[in-house]
Amino acid sequence: MSAPAAMGALAVAVQLGTVVAGAPLLVGVMRQVRARMEGRVGPGVTQPWRDLHKLAGKESISPDGTSWVFRSAPTVLVASSLLIAAVAPYVSTILPLDPTADLFAVVALLLLGTGALALAGLDTGTAFGGMGASRAMTVAALAEPTILMAGFALSARVGSSNLGALVEGSLRSPTIVVSPAGLLAAVALAVVIAAETGRLPVDNPSTHLELTMIHEAMVLEYAGRDLALVELASALRLTVLLGLWANLFLPWGVATTLHPGALAIGLIVIAAKVLLLGAALAAGEVFLAKWRLFRVPELLAGSFVFGVLAVTVSFFLA
Amino acid sequence: MSLLGAALSLMIGAASVGVTAGLLAPVTVRAGLVGAMTAVTGLGGAVVGAAALAGHRLVLDLPHLLPLSRLVISVDPLSGVFLLIVGGTAIAAGVYAVGYSSHPDHGPGDPTEPGHGVASRTSQAALPAFVAAMLLVPIAANVTTFLVFWELMALASLVLVLAEHRARAEVREAGIWYAAMTHAGLVVILLGLVVFAGAAGGESFAAMRLAAPELSPATRSIVFCLTFAGFASKAGVVPLHVWLPRAHPEAPSHVSALMSSAMVTLGLYGILRVAFDLLGGGPSWWGVLMLVVGALSAVYGVLQAFVATDLKRLLAYSTTENVGLMLVGVGAAGLFGADGNRTLAGLLLAAALLHAVNHAAFKTLLFLVAGSVLRSTGLRDLDRMGGLVARMPLTTALAAVGALCAAALPPGNGFVSEWLLLQGLTHSLSAQGSVHVLTAVLMPLAVGVVALTAGLGVATFVKAFGVGFLARARSPEAGHAVESPRTMTAGMVFAAAGCAALAVAPTLAAGPLTRIIATLPSLTGRAESPPVGGDAITLRLAGIQGSMSPALIALGLAVAAAVVAIAPRHRRARRPAPIWGCGGNRLNPRMEYTATSFAEPLTRVFDDVLHPEEDVDVTHHRESRYLIESVQFRHRVDDRIEARLYPPLIAAVSGWGRYARRAQNGSVHRYLGYGFVGLLLVLVVVGVSA
Amino acid sequence: MSTTLYVQLLDLLCGGILLAAVLVLWRRELASMVNLLALQGALLAGLAGLLAARERSLELAGVAAGVLVLKVVVLPVVLRRALVRSTEAREAEPLVNVAASMLSAALLTLLAYAVSRPLVTLAPSPTTRALPVGLAVVLLGFFMLVTRRRALSQVVGFLLLDNGIATTAFLATSGVPLIVELGVSLDVLLAVLVLQVLTARMRTAFGGTDLDGLRELRDS
Repeated sequence: MSAPAAMGALAVAVQLGTVVAGAPLLVGVMRQVRARMEGRVGPGVTQPWRDLHKLAGKESISPDGTSWVFRSAPTVLVASSLLIAAVAPYVSTILPLDPTADLFAVVALLLLGTGALALAGLDTGTAFGGMGASRAMTVAALAEPTILMAGFALSARVGSSNLGALVEGSLRSPTIVVSPAGLLAAVALAVVIAAETGRLPVDNPSTHLELTMIHEAMVLEYAGRDLALVELASALRLTVLLGLWANLFLPWGVATTLHPGALAIGLIVIAAKVLLLGAALAAGEVFLAKWRLFRVPELLAGSFVFGVLAVTVSFFLA
Repeated sequence: MSLLGAALSLMIGAASVGVTAGLLAPVTVRAGLVGAMTAVTGLGGAVVGAAALAGHRLVLDLPHLLPLSRLVISVDPLSGVFLLIVGGTAIAAGVYAVGYSSHPDHGPGDPTEPGHGVASRTSQAALPAFVAAMLLVPIAANVTTFLVFWELMALASLVLVLAEHRARAEVREAGIWYAAMTHAGLVVILLGLVVFAGAAGGESFAAMRLAAPELSPATRSIVFCLTFAGFASKAGVVPLHVWLPRAHPEAPSHVSALMSSAMVTLGLYGILRVAFDLLGGGPSWWGVLMLVVGALSAVYGVLQAFVATDLKRLLAYSTTENVGLMLVGVGAAGLFGADGNRTLAGLLLAAALLHAVNHAAFKTLLFLVAGSVLRSTGLRDLDRMGGLVARMPLTTALAAVGALCAAALPPGNGFVSEWLLLQGLTHSLSAQGSVHVLTAVLMPLAVGVVALTAGLGVATFVKAFGVGFLARARSPEAGHAVESPRTMTAGMVFAAAGCAALAVAPTLAAGPLTRIIATLPSLTGRAESPPVGGDAITLRLAGIQGSMSPALIALGLAVAAAVVAIAPRHRRARRPAPIWGCGGNRLNPRMEYTATSFAEPLTRVFDDVLHPEEDVDVTHHRESRYLIESVQFRHRVDDRIEARLYPPLIAAVSGWGRYARRAQNGSVHRYLGYGFVGLLLVLVVVGVSA
Repeated sequence: MSTTLYVQLLDLLCGGILLAAVLVLWRRELASMVNLLALQGALLAGLAGLLAARERSLELAGVAAGVLVLKVVVLPVVLRRALVRSTEAREAEPLVNVAASMLSAALLTLLAYAVSRPLVTLAPSPTTRALPVGLAVVLLGFFMLVTRRRALSQVVGFLLLDNGIATTAFLATSGVPLIVELGVSLDVLLAVLVLQVLTARMRTAFGGTDLDGLRELRDS
């Protein structure tokens, strides 16, 4: 194997390892920020890791009447997130796997995970599972136009929808980032990231009140190792999406070569960016309440218009 | 004899044997023979198609077969892709039909019993005829030949739709709708082609192609509008789609598969052949028209599919959606072709054609799966299905493959063509220096439509698969389901294999697609580079820095899943446990979410478009108003376009019919008199004009 | 001021004006509509100020100051006072629901872009290129007037319309003479005051400001 290829493989491995190791920590940081702002002490940032460890040691449960769909959904969910973590340009813009999947493919992979979990919810045959699945698919279906429209706005100006090219594009001309089109696309994507990862005001990640939940209702029957996988997957989704947002709209620091020094800097910078964004998101959530389910379409319609404006505005405002 | 000739003779020969067998063979072997012959016909067609896509061509001119005209056949790459679609579908449907029609219930017995009609002589003989007609339509090379085969296809499919007419009244209604729509379509196509051939001074496609540039713009546009309307009605495009959600559910399932995957796609073939090949492209408003109609169909189709509770109706509406997506691609290709941006036009047309192939593969699979469920349980209503994963494991697994592909999620095949379509649409703005205002306004809307369709499509197929096959049985019929016989599963496995091949190796289609586009004069540039290229693994696009490799995504998912499944091994085995029932442990199937309840949130969101009807009837107890005896809740979502558009039309037609009835009084002499007067008039007109 | 910075600021201000208009349509709370209107006024004043700085025109600076006083201070105060007295805090049931309004906003913006193309090609410059923003805000204001029920949202829609016209004027002609702007501003102020009085009268007559109540006034 030639030296650049080896370096590339190493970069992918390091990136993947960091995302997997860092995702539960990100969740821990966000919970800690929220706890402190609400005047609680908080469990510490490593608590999600301890939870995962504990759950992984427990036996999984197959509820009566469930099938292979229920059993394999957590694996599909984690696998789709891992694939995104391997192909997206977090550390460097020229990772060897970059041509494998572009922005649209990444969006489709996320949707694959959502669909798998919704099927698992339906497979349990309980009212909660069905309710969670129905709501999750509603939100995902309505979020799809916004994501692709924002993707349209981003890729139209760069001439490619490959993630590496997109990040390099904003790196090369930073004025794009603060142009109206760039800002609108950033807001639109931020809203759908909140919707896709089940954050406020769309879903409450810490709720356990059945009638208000979306994500938690689908995973109610999971236990032990399966539950650990589901928890890990939702942390991974949050991390990969925040990382993508960070590099698309605040691209500074990302390596454009495969030089070890640049890669190390890229790694540290992306970790810092994602942690800061996570903390900001958690702090923002303190001031938000969950919206009624039937107002969520209004929110998503709003973010869709942001996406359309991001495309339109780029015609007449630089 | 060339390969093409041999395959063509195989196709015709097998179809003739099949028709004869359907008419003459005893009932014990009839279904097996007809099914096998249908599959062989399809095989012959597929071989012709594959050879045509590889670059072989063939022109046959048989002057004496048709009265007043000649039978002309020409095989080129554009017809090749549609031959491949029809042939592939026919192989799966033919094999499947063997088991489906020789169901024990389908034997001689009570003719009103459901499923009886499939095994009858008429419907058995119509099946190979239908397949042969569909295979001949794309290779017909003059107007008469084309129309003869087109009509043969329509009649054979009508006979097949009516197969179970004794058992259910809805079949008869569906048949009437289908017959009316398909013949209205035929009349319009006939008019369009006659105007075209008249202006071109010849009815062979070659002559029309040569003469097309000299025609006046008005004639060209009239021809385009007429033929587009006719072909769009066959393709099930909104608002001409009304026959589709009636006829497809009522037809036997392998016929539904053939109609939905192959016949509907031939509507697209007609549009491509006339607008892009014979007319050689047109002004940009043609493209805009196709784009807008396609976008409407895509969104309306997927919305109706999402709220449908009848599995086959859901699949029928999903066909409207997918044809809509293809038309979006074709329309955008027309728009850019008219603008002179040929690379982009080629890419979009390639996306549309690939989507046609992909759609045929997964829709065949899904209709066959629906047929297996129907045959085993007698159910089409999703609200009464469920629990099939335990009773019909193989069918459920195949349904999962079909749903994944139809939902356009990776690693399915539908994803690849939708990805190409999105690439073509999004890069419309960056590819040119200055953006045409029409492009600038239409492309964001088109991307929004495709995205909404994609999102709702995922929700639709999560619903269809999750509610239909998973969880516990919602009715006794579903609880007693049994797996289908081998021939049926073989047909389904063949379709699933097609999906898998298309999903993993779409790059193989790049060469043939380039060859097709090279035959369309409006889209070929001088320095032609293939619109879609790439090595064996990665799909690359011309003029756009875009790439994606479906094979690597599938491989990556598999590797990641394997790592997750193996890595931190749980110490103890999986334990079965009762489901949490909120403290009580008496969960029954009535507590499960149904298809209707699953769709409820989005039905509410799209309230303004769908206008669901809801009735609540509360029956009070006889002794006290405060006690309730029963509550009835009914919820139905009608096709609003049909409810708004068609009643006035039907009223007008039947009013006209009442008027025309005065001419009919039962006197034979008067009827003969009409003929006599007609003859005299014709003679006078001819005499005067001469 | 360098040209790039000028163009960037111009684009940001115009983007902000358009965004504020869309958000006014998106929100249901009347109070936050008024706040957004004040924000849009500030951005409009900023636009006038930017043009003044670019052209070094004292007159335009005066216009900017006038816009600032009227649209950021006076009108919001008047509207808030009307709001305090009313019992209706929200636009509860618009004739077209919020999600559909949002889609219409997207279509109207695209329409504004399409129809202002010929104008832009007449004299391409950063300011004229941004012309669709003004037109879009005008259309959004009109849309709001057509689809909202409460009298106060009607006033907001009217002011949106006016802001759109002002934006168009600034972008198309690099500002209007001070005297014209003064006259227009006074007109607007007068109109708002009249509407406010009308609102109060409606409330005493019908007990609410649902404009559908006015149907009862016709001859029948």
